[in-house]
Amino acid sequence: MRPSPSRAALILRLAIQDLWHDRQVSLCIAAALVAVIAPLLLLFGLKHGVVSQLQRELLDDPRNLEVRMLTSGSYDEAWLDDVRALPGVGFAIGLTRSLNTQADLLKDRRHFLKGVELVPSAIGDPLLADLSRYPQGSGVVLSEPAARRLDVAPGERLTLAASRRLEGQQERGRVEVEVIGVLDAARFPRPAAFIDLELLIELERFRDGHASPLLGVTSGAQRADYPLRYARARIFASEGEAVAGVVEQLEAQRIETASRLADIENVRAINRVLGLIFGVIALTALVGCLASMAGAFMANIDRKRREYAVLRLLGLKRPAVAAYVAVQVGLLSLIAFVAGLGLFALGAAVFNRALATSHLASGVVSHITAAHALIALALTLGVALLVAAIGVARAFSIQPAESLREA
Amino acid sequence: MLAIVGPSGCGKSTLLEALGLLLRPSELGRYTLGPDGTDLAALLQANNESALAEIRSRELGFLLQNGGLLPFLSVRDNITLPRRLLGLPASSERVRHACVTLGLEPLLDKRPGALSIGERQRTAFVRAMAHEPRLLLADEPTAALDPQAGERLFGLILSLVQELDMAALVVSHDRSLVAQFSLPRLAANLTSGGCRFAPEP
Repeated sequence: MRPSPSRAALILRLAIQDLWHDRQVSLCIAAALVAVIAPLLLLFGLKHGVVSQLQRELLDDPRNLEVRMLTSGSYDEAWLDDVRALPGVGFAIGLTRSLNTQADLLKDRRHFLKGVELVPSAIGDPLLADLSRYPQGSGVVLSEPAARRLDVAPGERLTLAASRRLEGQQERGRVEVEVIGVLDAARFPRPAAFIDLELLIELERFRDGHASPLLGVTSGAQRADYPLRYARARIFASEGEAVAGVVEQLEAQRIETASRLADIENVRAINRVLGLIFGVIALTALVGCLASMAGAFMANIDRKRREYAVLRLLGLKRPAVAAYVAVQVGLLSLIAFVAGLGLFALGAAVFNRALATSHLASGVVSHITAAHALIALALTLGVALLVAAIGVARAFSIQPAESLREA
Repeated sequence: MLAIVGPSGCGKSTLLEALGLLLRPSELGRYTLGPDGTDLAALLQANNESALAEIRSRELGFLLQNGGLLPFLSVRDNITLPRRLLGLPASSERVRHACVTLGLEPLLDKRPGALSIGERQRTAFVRAMAHEPRLLLADEPTAALDPQAGERLFGLILSLVQELDMAALVVSHDRSLVAQFSLPRLAANLTSGGCRFAPEP
């Protein structure tokens, strides 16, 4: 009487028929598992949603990649090349002295901006990555606040003007520029113009008292060997993870920096704390679920002691009884998992609907990945395995002779 | 068909359990089964559970006092279960004949919960003999029934056992019932040291 496929199928069918006959009790046992799986999945889905949204915000916002230099110095092009070569640096461009990074923008008599911030930019500037257009020559990108106040759209022309006082004489340099793009306010909230570095340097030289044909001013010094020096640099890390490294390397050069490293650390800390909270809740719930399921199943086996004894009497050996119990536990767990997943989908839909209408949490969605679902399934089956082991141990103690004795 | 009679508590069921290979006797002289004389005594002494379980399920049939039917199976499935567990074809001429004789045919698709006690015991009897065991062991099969129904079931069992040429041991405390069918008896003689079962003339 070797175990044969048909015999295995028979035991499987018996186990299922038993479950179905006792469907109320079976449902109760499965419900105990659903009551743990569904809330845990919902909680995990929210945690995952919140954390990944925070991470996405960090990754999506190139400002978080910026490492701002707080100290000014005098740096040459070679230094800038060294900075560009630092591991983790994605983009670096020189900046002139801060007084010279301002100019006036004029459209007509009613639309003008005084002292607009000028930001040197070039191909690869992470802030402009969405536009895929970079300032070159007389082409400039305006930040949205600047464009709004000037009431200009891409393609329109503006006058960029700067003043200087040379030998007691007030002089004004002007150059016509073309708006080639408008940068979203979320990327740069202040009125600003992103311009070619060459233009910025030209403006600085003009202010330093040089003649500038480009700005239409011929008076002043004419020196070709004017040394190119940067006061600071705009530096961006290549990715969020690299910010800390870039900060460290700059501080090793005694350059003080400001960055959103703290924000990045915050997200990591939030992830850690939420992970810990979720872990503790999950562990508590799993232990409770294990105890309740094992108890229910043991009570169930005790209740059916006589049936198990009859099955043993009819020739079911211990491995067959173990399979019988394992099939029942496994099946109930699978049903509970599917039901829990369904409830999660419903709950997540409710959450997402509420979250979508909330300004505060826009972009946050409760969701889990397939890998998460598989891990949850593995955990469920792990619980099932333990319950089955406890149940099998209980069922093994039942002797066929018990069927003859009145309880 | 042999009856084991005696007062309650004298060890009739214990004897049946020992014969049914469910208990291991502390002392055992000889116990063989079948024409080829399978030596059950040796297996019992060696405590070879797997072999004993196999012989129990193949060669023995148990008719329990309370029926011992599985509540989640229909009458038909209950009856065919021993045969299917042994890998035999689910139906046999003997089973069909027994069902007809015992009037179980209209009940085949019902669950045991929907049957009367008498119907359950008849089902249990068919299940006990479905796999054509060499020896049928019945423990007070009529105890739960009223006297008339008990008598009727007893008669049906007896006639089927004789008709199908089986060996059967029936434990009963009801001497009058056994006497009525004039069955050979093993009677319990209670002594101070224990209980001895001996054939009664």
